[in-house]
Amino acid sequence: MSPRPRLDHVRRPAILAAAAEVIRERGLENVRVSDVAERAGTSAPSVLYYFASKAELLKEALTSAEERYYEDLERDLSETESARERLVKIVGGGAGEGDYDAALWMELWARALRDPELAATRAELDDRWRRTIAEIVRYGQERDEFGPAQPDVFALLLGSLLDGLAVQIALGDAEVTPERAQDLSLALAERELNCELRAVA
Amino acid sequence: MTEAAATATERGARERILAAAVERIASDGIDDMRIARVAMDAGVSTSLVHYHFETREALLGEALEYSYERAGEVRLGEGEEADSDPERRLLAMIDQCLPYPGALRQDWVLWLELWLRSVRHPELGPTGARLYERMRAWLSEGLVACGVPEGSDPGEMADRVLALCDGLGVRVLIGEMAIEYAREQVWGYLAGELGLDASLAAG
Repeated sequence: MSPRPRLDHVRRPAILAAAAEVIRERGLENVRVSDVAERAGTSAPSVLYYFASKAELLKEALTSAEERYYEDLERDLSETESARERLVKIVGGGAGEGDYDAALWMELWARALRDPELAATRAELDDRWRRTIAEIVRYGQERDEFGPAQPDVFALLLGSLLDGLAVQIALGDAEVTPERAQDLSLALAERELNCELRAVA
Repeated sequence: MTEAAATATERGARERILAAAVERIASDGIDDMRIARVAMDAGVSTSLVHYHFETREALLGEALEYSYERAGEVRLGEGEEADSDPERRLLAMIDQCLPYPGALRQDWVLWLELWLRSVRHPELGPTGARLYERMRAWLSEGLVACGVPEGSDPGEMADRVLALCDGLGVRVLIGEMAIEYAREQVWGYLAGELGLDASLAAG
């Protein structure tokens, strides 16, 4: 058996981190597997041993970044019992500069159009994000912090709004700064959930 | 040929090349857009394409800009004549912001590429920002015509509508959602804010 798998826990994350960097800098279209290998301090065959294609590098880089995001988020959310504060935290992470990797996400969107596998990845990641939002809404409704909105419909609305605002931020639109994006999103949530959010932000 | 006629032909060729590139990017994707193919579609030689656009990158950048400008000029007029009733007119404006099959969808595919490239090519940013600025002003005006309640800011509402259309539209484009549903969602939000007829967007 090849000895390489024993190094999985070291190499795989290093390759993904390198891939994310290189994709961010040049765009997937201009990335060669050998660029990723060089950045990760390994060889192209070694990269291809773990990831069959550039599309898979993109998919895995985003998926592993999401894993880290949710680990941090879970810790973050458990620090407060208030549903309103939880929602504010989630909007801050989504609309703020935070961990949102616009370059990688937009690669995923653009490629999801033509690559069914990447479309499935996008749908999975999006589902998880919407479930997270909907859970907070249900939790807040149980605690009488939020009014009677449909949690899943609200999650789609807020998630879509945050995505759209992230585009405008990424485009460097002077009108839409991260702070303004947060404010625009919280105002929409206040109206839909009939609660006061900007006071706790 | 006079010099003026030569210039006019040149401008015509340039525009044809851009229009052909726009269609190719929308149908094949940016990675697979080939200069030779664009030249063939535009009915010009490859060397003429290279004459107008020094590099592939330059052609891509200008094609995207061309699509943005065209959208700003053509589309933003359309909702206005559609109806004298302000609510119907506003709904028609929202429709112009969603990827309906045809030219709108084609532009959308291209913009997705523009968004993607703007992240790494800040010089494309102003083109995008210009279009958003125009759309914001255009939408604000449609919102005001429907009566924005005291204390609400039409500019803020327009920002939200644009972001919602982009966020929902991208899901429609990828095939995750029916366009009618996206339309109802945007209208539902506005109906709540402005006290409009929520059923107007249904069916």
